[in-house]
Amino acid sequence: MNMELSRRAFLRTAGAGLAGTTLGAMGFGEVEQAMAAAIRPFKLANTTETRNTCTYCSVACGIIIYSKGDLRKGERADITHIEGDSDHPTNRGTLCPKGAALLDIVHAKTRLTRPMLRKAGAASFEPISWDEAFDKIARAMKDDRDANFVATNKDGVTVNRWTTTGFLAASATTNETAWCTYKVVRSTGMLVFDNQARV
Amino acid sequence: MTNLLQPDPTAIGDPSIPDFAVPPDPAVVFARRARRFEELAPSSPIGPYLRFLTGLADAQAAVLAELPEPAMPSPAVRARAREHEMPPLDRAALGLDDVLATTLHRLFDAAAAIPKPAAAAEALAAVVASDRAGLAAMVSAVLAQSIPMERLAEHVFVAAGLELHATRVAARLDAAALVPVGEGACPACGGPPVASLVVEWPRAHGVRYCACSLCNTLWNYVRIRCTCCGQTKGIGYQEIEGGPGTVKAETCDNCRTYVKVLYQQKDPRLEPVADDVASLGLDMLMGEGPYRRAAFNPYLLGY
Repeated sequence: MNMELSRRAFLRTAGAGLAGTTLGAMGFGEVEQAMAAAIRPFKLANTTETRNTCTYCSVACGIIIYSKGDLRKGERADITHIEGDSDHPTNRGTLCPKGAALLDIVHAKTRLTRPMLRKAGAASFEPISWDEAFDKIARAMKDDRDANFVATNKDGVTVNRWTTTGFLAASATTNETAWCTYKVVRSTGMLVFDNQARV
Repeated sequence: MTNLLQPDPTAIGDPSIPDFAVPPDPAVVFARRARRFEELAPSSPIGPYLRFLTGLADAQAAVLAELPEPAMPSPAVRARAREHEMPPLDRAALGLDDVLATTLHRLFDAAAAIPKPAAAAEALAAVVASDRAGLAAMVSAVLAQSIPMERLAEHVFVAAGLELHATRVAARLDAAALVPVGEGACPACGGPPVASLVVEWPRAHGVRYCACSLCNTLWNYVRIRCTCCGQTKGIGYQEIEGGPGTVKAETCDNCRTYVKVLYQQKDPRLEPVADDVASLGLDMLMGEGPYRRAAFNPYLLGY
């Protein structure tokens, strides 16, 4: 049931256009106007609270992210606070020291927000596009696989192994992501594979 | 060896396992509210109104001790309500009995001493002089949350007495036997919340409770969820810019309403009714926006 419909009008009015408030009816109309005058220069600030999952490990604790500004209203949102979600059955509001410091990661200047490449011999990382990054990774994997793939063992039995490259998948993934990761990685013959359960 | 204390690594810290419902303690509720109104009055533009409500809450607290024992719903009624996820206090049946009539008249007598404007004094005189049928009609109107504008002030005094009565009845219920009865409805009396509180209690850290506007029962309610329609999408928070972030309007894009959230973990003095009234400025600013107020507070009708 939508309660709002039944709560829309708490006041029945007999005469048309008759409106008022408890303050007015009780004889406090003047202070009510004083409040209205005092509040007029002020504006409202939009804030949001958003449920999310901690990115750190596979325990997947619930967190509440507080931000100033509301993206839904076309504003820029700045994250101001992160705390454990007390309604979440996994952590019931608690967070480990790393989870409790999530806000510092969000605002860290050294936070990795795009692919970076340190070329051979270079002293520092430089940003590259996702396409470039994927191409480089795919090229390196293909070269290594072509060079080191083991199709059969010494007895001639087909094994299709690729043991010179390993794969470590992230912790903060869903079951479905983990399933897809497994299928992709195993289909290349890769044996050294783990889903990172904790950092 | 088997009696040795074993470490339990599964429960590090103090996880929040909140009770679903917290019953009101009438002796604490009204006295605390009075002190909060008193505390808020000096710095508020509506100070005189807050001082009047200090007197009214003090009057509610003062008459409490001498009141006769209220009639309770029978165990069969309570069991049936629980089975069908209904509140044990039936608002329709919570009419004017002798105990409520006594409660109302004692409160009216105690309220006579509160300094008040002429309009409030006239309204009090009118309810004192009202016959039983008149009082019963006003009780019904408050319970139905449908109050005639022309006699609003009289209903405020009736609402205060009815709240006192309902709080005493709710305090006598077994809170552990209360079950959720629906979105934004008090599990004891089915009433709408006056506001919700994010509390910082042992075993309830940052947990939200809705505060009933009629019987002052607190019930656990998931955060970032509309207390009016139960929707979790499109929830936003609005506060007065530059404020301390302790009182915000929780807005819902689904039902286009708002109910205030009080962050008690930031300021433990916050009291649902007192701070709802004292933050009238927020309602005034919200009134210019698209969201309508969904909370029920007899001291703040018309917003």
